[in-house]
Amino acid sequence: MKPDPSKLRQKQHEELSVELSQGNSLKKECEFTTVEEMIRFDAAQTEVPVEIAERLSASIQTEPKPPRTWWRRFFG
Amino acid sequence: MDSENTSAGARPHWDSDAFGGLYEQHSRCIYYLALRLLGNPTQAEDATHDVFLKAFRKIGQFRGDSDIRTWLYRIAINHCQNMLTAWHRRNIVSNADESLWETTPHRSDSPFRILETKELGERIQTTLDKLPEEYRLLLLLVANEKLTYEEIGEVTHQTADAIRGKLHRARKAFAAAFPKSTTTQS
Repeated sequence: MKPDPSKLRQKQHEELSVELSQGNSLKKECEFTTVEEMIRFDAAQTEVPVEIAERLSASIQTEPKPPRTWWRRFFG
Repeated sequence: MDSENTSAGARPHWDSDAFGGLYEQHSRCIYYLALRLLGNPTQAEDATHDVFLKAFRKIGQFRGDSDIRTWLYRIAINHCQNMLTAWHRRNIVSNADESLWETTPHRSDSPFRILETKELGERIQTTLDKLPEEYRLLLLLVANEKLTYEEIGEVTHQTADAIRGKLHRARKAFAAAFPKSTTTQS
């Protein structure tokens, strides 16, 4: 049994409408009144790579420990 | 990696937990500053790592007469400027004729409009790269709402009044250099 062409067209039209509406939402215009506002928005969107914290943690582990005070050495 | 003279005993109140809190609180603004000053994500990662490691080493020298945030900024700016000097990058635009920005027609009250926020970072970077280093730095610092003009002056060794004047010119320069194709100035 062949599908009804009119129903197929209707379905395709609905799918196209969904795609177009999604495309429009992606192209939503942003407006910034000042340079600072725009930079602030960009900064808020910028993620700090997690690798930095991992590297930093490893680096700190290799840092020399603070020397023990004389009374700690003496009394343990 | 920076190899400065450090005194391990000069951080009596410093431990890794406190450091973790400091990193959580300030890593984003330091990374973003490094990213936009250096214009390279990998170098910004290295710089952020080095800045916080330097902070860890030198926390004993922090006298507490200024906010620790401005202290971190000072370390970050020095570090990035050293990196830029070493690489001899952006020297041409750093010596740009500032009168060019003064005479460039624009409307400072016009909004910046963009269609794709994902490209915003690239456009900001492209524009910042065209500005003198001082303008670039001031715009990045003032965009941080938590820094007052006085604090920015402290970080950049200038008075608050000098900051105001330069910021005015920096904003004009940015507006003039922002890509025309992506800016609809009405």
